[in-house]
Amino acid sequence: MLAYLVRRLLWLPFLLLAVSLLTFALGTYGPGDPVQVRLGARYTPEAGTRLRHELGLDRPLLAQYGQYVWRALRGDLGVSLRFTGRPVSDVIGRRVWVSVQLGFAAVVVSVLLGIPLGLLAAHRQGTWLDTAVISLALFFYSVPVFLTAPLLILVFAVRLHWLPTSGWNGLPDPHIIMPALALGLPGVAGLARLTRASALEVLGQDYVRTARAKGLPEVQVQYRHVLRNALIPVLTTLGMALATLVSGAFITETLFGIPGIGSLAVESIFQRDYPVVMAITLLLAAAFVAANLLVDILYVALDPRIRYR
Amino acid sequence: MTRRYGSTLALFLLLLTAVLAACGPKGTAPVATPTPTLAPAPGLTPTAPGPTPTEIAATTTPTGGVFRRLWDEPPTLDPHLTTDTASAGIIVEVFSGLVALDTDLNLVPELAERWEVSQDSTVYTFYLRPDAKFHSGRSVTAGDVKYSIERAADPKTLSPVADIYLADIVGALDKLNGRASEVRGVQVIDQHTVQFTLDSPKAYFLAKLTYPTAYVVDRENIEKDGTRWTQRPNGTGAFKLKEYKVGERIILERNPLYYRGPAKLDQVVFILSGGSAMAMYENNEIDITGVGLADLERVRNPQSPLNKELVVSPPGFEVAYIGFNVKQPPFDDAKVRQAMTYAINKDLIAKQVLADLVVPAYGILPPGFPGFNPAPQGLHFDADKATQLLAESKYAQDFPRVVLTVPGTGGSVGLDLEAILETWRQVLGIQVEIQQVEFATFLQDLNAHKLQLFAGLGWQADYPDPSNFLDVLFHSNNSLNHTDYHNEEVDRLLEQARTETQWEARAALYQQAEGLIIQDASVVPLWFGGEQVFLLKPYVKGYRPTPLIVPKLKDVYLAK
Amino acid sequence: MELAEQQAVAQRHRGEGPWARLLRRFLHKKVAVACLALVVALYLAGVLAPLLAPYGYNQTDLLHPLEGPSGAHWLGTDRLGRDLLSRLLWGLQTTVIITAAATLTGSLALGILLGLASGYLGRRVDSAIMRVGELFLAFPDILLVILLAATLKPRAVELVRSFEDSLGFRGIVQSGAVDYLVVFGALAAFSWVGMARLVRGQVLALKEQTFVEAARANGASTWRVLRVHLLPNALSPVLVSVSAGMGAVAGSEVVLSWLGIGIQPPRPSLGLMILDNGNLSALRATPHLLLAPVAAVALLIFAWNLLGDALNDVLNPRAR
Repeated sequence: MLAYLVRRLLWLPFLLLAVSLLTFALGTYGPGDPVQVRLGARYTPEAGTRLRHELGLDRPLLAQYGQYVWRALRGDLGVSLRFTGRPVSDVIGRRVWVSVQLGFAAVVVSVLLGIPLGLLAAHRQGTWLDTAVISLALFFYSVPVFLTAPLLILVFAVRLHWLPTSGWNGLPDPHIIMPALALGLPGVAGLARLTRASALEVLGQDYVRTARAKGLPEVQVQYRHVLRNALIPVLTTLGMALATLVSGAFITETLFGIPGIGSLAVESIFQRDYPVVMAITLLLAAAFVAANLLVDILYVALDPRIRYR
Repeated sequence: MTRRYGSTLALFLLLLTAVLAACGPKGTAPVATPTPTLAPAPGLTPTAPGPTPTEIAATTTPTGGVFRRLWDEPPTLDPHLTTDTASAGIIVEVFSGLVALDTDLNLVPELAERWEVSQDSTVYTFYLRPDAKFHSGRSVTAGDVKYSIERAADPKTLSPVADIYLADIVGALDKLNGRASEVRGVQVIDQHTVQFTLDSPKAYFLAKLTYPTAYVVDRENIEKDGTRWTQRPNGTGAFKLKEYKVGERIILERNPLYYRGPAKLDQVVFILSGGSAMAMYENNEIDITGVGLADLERVRNPQSPLNKELVVSPPGFEVAYIGFNVKQPPFDDAKVRQAMTYAINKDLIAKQVLADLVVPAYGILPPGFPGFNPAPQGLHFDADKATQLLAESKYAQDFPRVVLTVPGTGGSVGLDLEAILETWRQVLGIQVEIQQVEFATFLQDLNAHKLQLFAGLGWQADYPDPSNFLDVLFHSNNSLNHTDYHNEEVDRLLEQARTETQWEARAALYQQAEGLIIQDASVVPLWFGGEQVFLLKPYVKGYRPTPLIVPKLKDVYLAK
Repeated sequence: MELAEQQAVAQRHRGEGPWARLLRRFLHKKVAVACLALVVALYLAGVLAPLLAPYGYNQTDLLHPLEGPSGAHWLGTDRLGRDLLSRLLWGLQTTVIITAAATLTGSLALGILLGLASGYLGRRVDSAIMRVGELFLAFPDILLVILLAATLKPRAVELVRSFEDSLGFRGIVQSGAVDYLVVFGALAAFSWVGMARLVRGQVLALKEQTFVEAARANGASTWRVLRVHLLPNALSPVLVSVSAGMGAVAGSEVVLSWLGIGIQPPRPSLGLMILDNGNLSALRATPHLLLAPVAAVALLIFAWNLLGDALNDVLNPRAR
């Protein structure tokens, strides 16, 4: 197990290097020039040359990349081109925190709804309730957030005046409720179906029958045997769910005007703000790897049968 | 001084409306124009700086209130770096310069209480207000002015516009290009007197000084806080920065030391996060919002409670157009360009598709603009003429591929463009390919004159002189002539107009040039800006929308 | 079911083969059949759009914008007076092409091939493929897709254009083929990993089983073992995963359009239609313009997913 973890961790720097190189290459190979974006209508070749020189964008690409890596290793991610002169860490820092809070809230929504609904469906397998629960969950998965988001705003903000329409105001604050729902509801379907399937599998196992046969109270059977064992496969998908969550956050953050990392990433790419794009890509890549590693560890902790070589 | 038309007004840069759309405050009050003062200026002698009635009222009865609006995250709060409306809208309230524009776009004294201009109009001597103070309480001195100009012109500052706004000052370009350590043309005479020397007489010089590039900043503030100094900016404006939560909000509060009398509002909250401005307005989260096409009908309905809060401001000086690259086939044949212009029924599209939010454009200069030709001169919709012209063109048999490039990322290219493309297909049988590229790529290809057919552009918010539209866009030597248009006669007329001193004669030259330009059809002028529609809560008083970014929150107050 | 009853059922169907049995089991599920019918109907509507659509997808009628449903326009018209139903059908065609192409190239071709190779050949090949897969999984896919689109798509289109010009014919770019290519290229780049892992797992499990070992002992070639023995046995989880995946691809078309990587107008796509009207103001002013494409996309995703569930039940009866 330890050796496996060490191997995975050693692989991480190479992975980040590959990701950064790919991002850098795409950014510099592609069309669009950050200097021209910044000068906009005022672009003249002379002003462009001067600015390019001051920003160090006229140096050989390899040198630029090398310098980037060298500085990044020491924690300096460069200066944003769009937010003129602001260090990238300043631009990203707060937004990461906002996205983490929103993402966490969305996971809470998915888990709190998904797992109980899945268990419910499993216990009422084959009844109308089973069908209804799974269909409802699937419905929220199927309807694009481009409808759910404005609909939520229309109902709860504009009509009922219960919640603020959009935006972000830190935590705790009602601003988070609707975006968390919009981001979390689509995930309910996956969790509920998986929990259901895995609970059904567990319910059919011998040890559950044994537990019941030896007269254990049903609550204990459910908690000790069914729930714990049913959740193991559910857990493994949470790592993958992070990827889905990030994609969803790009949209949800934009629709609700939340200053998170998702909306920033989209804007930065379109404005050719390479230093910010690089930093976000690296950050997300590291987060994915870390999340999957965490899942692996939890997996082992919960299921002693699993060993990693 | 010659009484040049419009000499009171700013030489504001040509702004692509696309840039505005990309960077401008979302959904807040649209860039709306009160009719700018076009009366010939009484020269540039300063008006007496005595307090105006509103200033007296403000000092005696400071009424309070918190004014809330949705705003875009400003890329910078550094006045010397700003080029966009989201930044400038906040910067002009926090900082100030020697002179400013008021909400009627008149030039007014700001940090300088008065100034003198030498006989040859190249030396400007500014006398600073003795009571002018930074937010910290320190007095503003001539040294601060010199420091600020030299900082803006320092290549290390990376100001993208210093060479445009400061270039007239002797030595500014030397400093910018690293050939000098100071700007020779700015001299400190004494504590409160500073002198600017220009390389030649420039009628627009004072107007250029109203742009934030020439604003005064505090040296100590910048040297102490380094790159993060704008998080605690020590400005001289009517408001000071109280709180800046990146991505969430910016709160400005009244500066009690402001030398022209403190502002009436207690605070201004710029909400930086949030999506639908209209919904936020209806949910009482903000006090002002623009109204888009989809909401227009609902708001215009007299039964709607919102109808009473509707504010309409007169149109801005802008024209949206489609450009043909006249060097690339098939647009090297004027008949093709004319045919495609005649084919478009602008009146119908404006009425049916765009709800009359725009005015169909048949010329280049917008209505009300100096030199505007009210006589209908453009190529009006005429399907028969269009087909006939196309048949006469040299591409009648074999029409080459046509690609329309528009800036944008996803979604519709604009209802008007989609309607026009369909018109071209129906009337002329021309299939146009659409290529949507994001703004970075668009700019690059546009600057390289690579685009065969492009749209999504417009000229806006410039100084009121015909040269600003016609010379800049259509003179063959101008780098902003993206269509590669070249007509000897037009060039000659434009050059003649540059030096002509009589306004009537100049106007005639420009109208003649405009007529030729329209006939040559290197662009299809589409729309002039229409009336801007926005909603303002009834308790907000004293808000004046302006077509340019000027300080305007000082006299706003809430009567709740 | 009681034991006796089960035996009776088994006896009744003794004569049928495995496929027939699966088919019967499938047909027994009403929901599954309904979903299949829905999917087939929507795909047919898309494929037959040129025949079914009452108007051209781009035929504007500026004198009749924003009309409600009527005999002439069953679903009403949009802001340019275009027939909503016709645009919906053509939009479905875009979805059909994208889902089919992305699934075929990405998950099916790439994923299965790499999965088989990885599982069967093992060692270096396995670890190389899995490491690359990890890289793709670690790369925030949506970011890479935007990056690819912002940087490569304009140049790809330009390339095809010059290719067309040099050959003297036109229509590839006009038809949106390049857009499709970029869209499902981007989708394929990410969808293969999951499938490859799935197939690899299946192969690893099957490899140890006697019938494969026997085939190998008899001197069957690698390719033959893969094709004849491993692929068919690994097929059922693949089928289930494809069915659920098709829905996801239909959904990502919307997201890709939102990011500006989708199909260029005037070619309609459900994603573009949703985007243009996916805001509060449009929802209030012209709800039909948003609800119609949303309904089509949602139905498609919904049906594909339930179909996947049903297939899973049918093919892996143990999990029922």
